[in-house]
Amino acid sequence: MAKEVVIEHVTRVEGHGNIKVLIEAGKVKEVKFEIYEGPRFIEKVLVGRMYYEVPDIVSRICSICPDPHQVAAVEAIEKAFGASVDRQTKMLRELQLLADIISSHALHLYLLALPDYLGYPDALSMIDKYGREVKMGLELKRAGNAVKEVLTGRSIHGCTVKPSGYTRVPTPSELEKLSDMLKQSMEGAILAVKLFSSLEYPDFARDENVFMAVDPGEVYGFMGNYILVSDGERYPVEEYRKLTNEVAVPHSTAKHSSYKGKPFMVGALARVLLNGRKLKGRAAEMLKELEPKLDALNPLTNNLAQAIETAYAVERAIEVIDELLDKGLKQDVEVKVKQRKGVGVSAVEAPRGVLYHCYELDDEGRVVRADIITPTAQNAANIEKYIKVSAERLLSIGEERLEGPLELLVRAYDPCISCSAHLIKVVKIR
Amino acid sequence: MAWTKLKAGFYSLTGCAGDLLRILNIEDKLLEIFDKVEIMDFALASSRKVHGKVDVAFVEGSVTTQKDLEYVKKIRESSNVLVAIGDCAVWGGVQASLTGVDAKELMKSVYNTEENYYGFLGEHKAISEVVKVDYELSGCPIEAEEFIELLIDVLRGVLPEFKDYPVCVECKIREVPCLIIERGEACLGPITVGGCKARCPYNNTPCIGCRGPVKDEANVAGELSMLLEKGWKKEDVVNRLKLFATKYKDVSKLIKG
Repeated sequence: MAKEVVIEHVTRVEGHGNIKVLIEAGKVKEVKFEIYEGPRFIEKVLVGRMYYEVPDIVSRICSICPDPHQVAAVEAIEKAFGASVDRQTKMLRELQLLADIISSHALHLYLLALPDYLGYPDALSMIDKYGREVKMGLELKRAGNAVKEVLTGRSIHGCTVKPSGYTRVPTPSELEKLSDMLKQSMEGAILAVKLFSSLEYPDFARDENVFMAVDPGEVYGFMGNYILVSDGERYPVEEYRKLTNEVAVPHSTAKHSSYKGKPFMVGALARVLLNGRKLKGRAAEMLKELEPKLDALNPLTNNLAQAIETAYAVERAIEVIDELLDKGLKQDVEVKVKQRKGVGVSAVEAPRGVLYHCYELDDEGRVVRADIITPTAQNAANIEKYIKVSAERLLSIGEERLEGPLELLVRAYDPCISCSAHLIKVVKIR
Repeated sequence: MAWTKLKAGFYSLTGCAGDLLRILNIEDKLLEIFDKVEIMDFALASSRKVHGKVDVAFVEGSVTTQKDLEYVKKIRESSNVLVAIGDCAVWGGVQASLTGVDAKELMKSVYNTEENYYGFLGEHKAISEVVKVDYELSGCPIEAEEFIELLIDVLRGVLPEFKDYPVCVECKIREVPCLIIERGEACLGPITVGGCKARCPYNNTPCIGCRGPVKDEANVAGELSMLLEKGWKKEDVVNRLKLFATKYKDVSKLIKG
């Protein structure tokens, strides 16, 4: 007899998604990670608009990762115009991405994932027994958001990010204050590593996997011009279509991606596995100790990778601020760029993985075509693959209640469903 | 009398989840806030769902799909007070700038099919277009301070007054030089409702109208003619007005030409 396991509206993830598993005669017949987030056609909103409006609009795709969307947009637009930016702007962009990593990972680790492992419906219910943890998690999240607030004018949908630079550069005293806050938040980042390394990760989701991450160059980071793949290949970001290979599926507003015919994973685990040797400071020490716990075969360990990365992001953000202060900040930078006709592609690492933006602009600087591929859209097929692997494994050991474990699995990817749903587009064969 | 907590639900329709996240981002007061309310439903943050009527429902997002429509009707039925939060809920969001574009064309351009897989309603609606809304708190995202003020009022059993002044007033208070006069920027401060403390002009960038127009008062024609005088193209000004205010009557008139 056929049985359908349905988990409607997976909670503690951003957006609206369902999990459906069809079981027939004790075997998993079909799995679906359904994304029913309403379509917003954001790329269509962009068409015909001026280039400087783009960062303000793409930010609205997602409230958890508005910053990588903005940075990816301005970098792609600059490439299309053949423009370059100074070191200060590059450093401020790195700081913006680090801040988003901190606040997003803190949100996910402490408020969304931890309750699963400790057996609570949410972080607020943990307050009596785990007050210290919740407070430190909030403190950490606050530090990341404070950096964004200063740098972009707002913790969600900042307004200062433009092609060629920031409309307002932070003052030294603002940066000093942020540095102090970040130093205080380091304890929360280290505690996250302790918490997530002490957890027993269930092994129902084990299988071979393929990983992808931006090649950051010499220093562990979140921007670059090449993509690294765990099979040893390296591709220029301009070849992103080949790497993502989107296919439409009727049950989801997100298209599915594959690489050489296989689903792949992006995100913190992919980054730490591919670039972990470039980590520094406490994160490097902790990785050395915890490396055996990071399991390439088990996506649940993504949470631990996020924690290690958060510790890195806090230390690196402090370092970037120190360097900016040392060099002295150039204020009143004129935000101006020379328009020309062109196409530009960029890739940045959002908290959930590689994010591609591609724009075709006309000689006035108007958007002719926009193409955005988000990490969760890339992960969707990988999530389905592991739902299947997990359901089969759980059934084989006589587990009847699949809901809890499957929700845990999906949540480990930290899916950002708003992002994935709004951004899927036609695959054009060129 | 025994103190009973305010029963509150936090719901999300189509959008970026930014307004609910903005609430979770009030880190320093979050525990205090949730000490005063009983969370009946907050899927973004909790797996717990309490059935029954809520005193107040905070709803973000636009009504974009059949599912959104059914959901928001259900929320309306089970809540005493319904508050629309954020630009999507109040004005339809940036996606509403596509109002008037054929739904089949949109599906075709984004999903390569004309079939309406996802129950898209054909346009992105503000919540007040489909159910009665008791209060609207705009912003993209909402301002933390305004949310806290609202919550305090709701706890006292009242609703705050609507703001009836534009962002310009807040530029004056913060002594921000006028971006239109000084630099000829296409700033929407004169028609956009205040409450953000002139966030964007303070950061040296023009207001793009994310809080929506001052209701019944925004002089859209005046804004347009002023910017045309400054040398802006009509197309670009209209595009800018459309982004967050397509549904404001004077803007829709302008779009229809």
